[in-house]
Amino acid sequence: MTTAAIEVGRVCVKTKGRDAGKYCVITGIVDNSFVTISGPKKLNGIKTKKCNATHLVYTEKKIDIKEKAKDDEIEAAVESANLSDIIKNGLKL
Amino acid sequence: MKQIFEGKSVKRIAKRTPGGNLTYHYRKRKIKDATCSGCGAKLHGVPRLRTKQLAKLPKTKRRPERIYGGALCPSCVVEKIKNKLMVTTNDNSSN
Repeated sequence: MTTAAIEVGRVCVKTKGRDAGKYCVITGIVDNSFVTISGPKKLNGIKTKKCNATHLVYTEKKIDIKEKAKDDEIEAAVESANLSDIIKNGLKL
Repeated sequence: MKQIFEGKSVKRIAKRTPGGNLTYHYRKRKIKDATCSGCGAKLHGVPRLRTKQLAKLPKTKRRPERIYGGALCPSCVVEKIKNKLMVTTNDNSSN
């Protein structure tokens, strides 16, 4: 397995909080310990917010977006990468 | 089950009736903390109440707002998520 890095566009899974078990996308990096994430909201209900990087588990998937992209652009990029079904359904535990 | 009125754990309280007589009232036993079904740790966010009093509370005050809230502790949930991700990536690579 290749090592996944914290970068804009990386798809990851939240492990803590009310959104645990859902997929999300990294949209920006704040500093050593915090990142901004988004669902996008229409697919699974996660708003754009700040989150601790240790509360995420990284996957091997990545989408192509700019830093601080809005929800419409993220949705379009997710559609073109065929990941909208995975983000909608989430991890079935 | 028949209630037992003897022993140190049953709390007995003396009360005076309107007629001037002395009687005893017995308090019910207290409920233990909820425990994680995976590792046995004590769970937070679940109040220690009997079932009839718990049913009167709104649903959001009986358990935390998280998957497996009130059943598994947060570290057991993190383990479950990581194991599920390992299984799905191994299936994809083997196929």
